[in-house]
Formats: sequence, C-alpha cells, structure tokens
Amino acid sequence: MKLEGLDESLVAAAQAGSTEAFSRLVERHQQAVRAFLRRACGDWGLADDLAQETFLAAWSRIGRLKRGASVRAWLCGIAYRKHLTALRASFRSRARDGAYEAARTQAAGGRLDDRLTLERVLAALPPDQRACVALCLAAEFSHAEAAEALGLPLGTVKSHVTRGRARLLEALGVQDDRG
Amino acid sequence: MTEADARLAALFAGDAPPARDPDFSTAVMERLARRRWLEDLALLAGLSVVGGAALWGLWPALQPTLAALSGALAPAAALLAAALWGAALLGGRPAGALGAES
Repeated sequence: MKLEGLDESLVAAAQAGSTEAFSRLVERHQQAVRAFLRRACGDWGLADDLAQETFLAAWSRIGRLKRGASVRAWLCGIAYRKHLTALRASFRSRARDGAYEAARTQAAGGRLDDRLTLERVLAALPPDQRACVALCLAAEFSHAEAAEALGLPLGTVKSHVTRGRARLLEALGVQDDRG
Repeated sequence: MTEADARLAALFAGDAPPARDPDFSTAVMERLARRRWLEDLALLAGLSVVGGAALWGLWPALQPTLAALSGALAPAAALLAAALWGAALLGGRPAGALGAES
C-alpha cells in the first residue's frame, strides 16, 4: 500500500472511532510535527508539549479532515495555530528542561557554532516567516502545501521562504549558489 | 538541491526527533484515554442528573401506574439492567451506546 493510501485508511478508521488507527497516525507523523514545532518555537520541551496538544486536538477534529487531504500538512497547521496561541499567552517563559538542552547540545555535535547561528537567525524571524522556513527548507514541504498548512497566501509563503533562506545563508557565511 | 540548500538541510536535520518514539506516542495516547474517560464521566453524570430530575418531576404521575404494573414489569426491568451492564462490561462506551460518538 502507498504511504498516502495507508494514511487515508488510518484516517477513515480513526474517523470511525478507532484509537488504534489514531495511535498509528501519531507514530507516523510525530517526527514531522515535533520537528516543525522545534524549529518554529526553538524550545524543545515546549515543542513536545505543543505536539501532544496538537494530536489531542487532531483527535477531536479528525471528523472534519477531508478525504485525500495531506495528514502531515493538516497536523502542522494545527501545530502552527497551537504555537501562535502559546506565543500570545507568553507561554515561552516556561523553564527549560535541562535534559532536553543536554541532548540538544550532544545532537549538534561538532557543528555547534553553525547550529547556534541557525537558531539565532531563526529566532529573529517573524513567526510566520519562521514557520515557512521550517516547513519548506527543513521539512521539504512544497510552497503550496505550506500555504495550505499555515493558512497563508502562496505568494506570501514564497517570499517568506526566499527572504528567510537569504538571511540564513548570509548569517552562516554560505555563498548562495542558486544564482 | 544546491550546495547551500544541502548545508541548510544538514543543519536542520540536527533538530529532528527520532522517526519512531514509543514514549511520545504512549504519552499522547494516555492523555487521549484520560480525556475520553473524563468525557464519559461527564456524559454519565449529565444523564444521571437529567434522568433524576425528570423522574422527580414525573413521579406523582408515574407512581400510581408503576405501582399497578410493578409485578409485571419487574422481570423486564431486571433483564434490561443486566443487558446494559453486560454492554458496559464488554467495552462499549456510553457515548457509542447512545449513538453520540463520531
């Protein structure tokens, strides 16, 4: 079965009330949702909390998911709105989990400087631009898919990605070889 | 993919959580189960309150009829109670049994 087909059958089963099917959807998409939130909000502990909230909200709304829609984009859209709500509530002041920070430093390995630069530049971007960068440059979403997920016009997504990419490359000192 | 994009992708990859994370999935499903249990509890509590209030309001009208029919109705009431208890025991959720589940 193709991956999209598997998603569709899992969604249909979850819409009929199967928590087992929903659990498989969580397993399949947790990486994409958590990675997006980590890049969008920069705080890994908060990102994982928001990812859990995202899946709980997804369970409540799964009946509204249209047949054939991208589950990944739909989930990232919910995650983005959760993130914006958390931003507005100044939820970001939450104390950071030491274990997450330690793991993060370890994962960065020998490219710590570049990783820190990346995070600094991402943190300076406006939330919608940062979300576009997180989806299109880091998660290989198409511009159309990102526009659908974030509820932004396609042209806005394209310009956010172009500007965000240029700022990242400039900060990292990388020559833009796209022309 | 250009060299610059490849470098960005490699840096972003450092943020990615594992493709499989049973701890995270279990945490989500536990929260979901807790939420469903609270929803069931709220539904049953609401039904109990509404049923109790309805019975209290209708009791003066029902009481003479029930007293007259109680002998004949007792076996059927016992069977109905046993069937509902059996359905609950076999895992049916209250909302599903009432047709209120999505």
